[in-house]
Amino acid sequence: MRPPSSLRQEFLKKWMMGLQRYSTSKKNMSILERKKAIKLSADVAIASARNGTTCWSRALIANGYSKDGGDDKHLVEQILGPESERLIMKKVLTGGASVCNKRMRSKKILKRSCGIQRTRKFAPQVALASSIAKRLVRKRTQILRSLIPGGEFMNDVTLIEETLDYIISLRAQVDVMRSLASASELASEP
Amino acid sequence: MSSRRSRQSTAGVSRISDDQIIELVSKLRQLLPEIRDRRSDKVSASKVLQETCNYIRSLHREVDDLSERLSQLLATIDTDSAEAAIIRSLIM
Repeated sequence: MRPPSSLRQEFLKKWMMGLQRYSTSKKNMSILERKKAIKLSADVAIASARNGTTCWSRALIANGYSKDGGDDKHLVEQILGPESERLIMKKVLTGGASVCNKRMRSKKILKRSCGIQRTRKFAPQVALASSIAKRLVRKRTQILRSLIPGGEFMNDVTLIEETLDYIISLRAQVDVMRSLASASELASEP
Repeated sequence: MSSRRSRQSTAGVSRISDDQIIELVSKLRQLLPEIRDRRSDKVSASKVLQETCNYIRSLHREVDDLSERLSQLLATIDTDSAEAAIIRSLIM
């Protein structure tokens, strides 16, 4: 599924706004510093397209806030504009996180109680196979959780929903960055 | 789906139904380039998760590579040159 062009356009606009923040210092930056600036701007830009509605986007914004040098939070303010303070506080407030944690805890209790009943019904070989499968799913869910920004605050269902949105957004980000890189390469050819 | 969830949370204990998870996993399958092309309907949840993690990791790597490329490209382009103007017009 191709990400909608509206998402790509908004990302591009916000990303360029973010990069302008570095325009004065760009000449003195090392390649590594510039790469980090490009990447950070891109991440905050794609997160801002969700306007604080998803956990991963809020986590990326908070991350961009802390990584953009200690004192000046200009990058995030530049991209998010007047909304920036509200969106940064949204991550800091524990509202979303505590709801997720409660859901996780009650789901764990439910899982444990259901698990005890389920394994008694199966023959030993089937029980072993299904417990291996469950362990694999649990292990891979943990890995996925570590890949999605803010994943540690999500229960399983939220994790998958966030993953769906995150993948589409990542694709938009990659599409635009790739187009810009190709255009730049064409332009810089002698 | 959101109405289903709100009913669950007011009940106190969240009963996340298997249907919900199946629906989400199938949506995830549709996004993944490899699994989508396979005919089989019986892709396991753990396989979908594995492919998802691999895919996200490859996307992260691509963003990183592109950032590297761009930092080199944008360094060599003189901001006052004609090429920079072309790029700026393409972007804005």
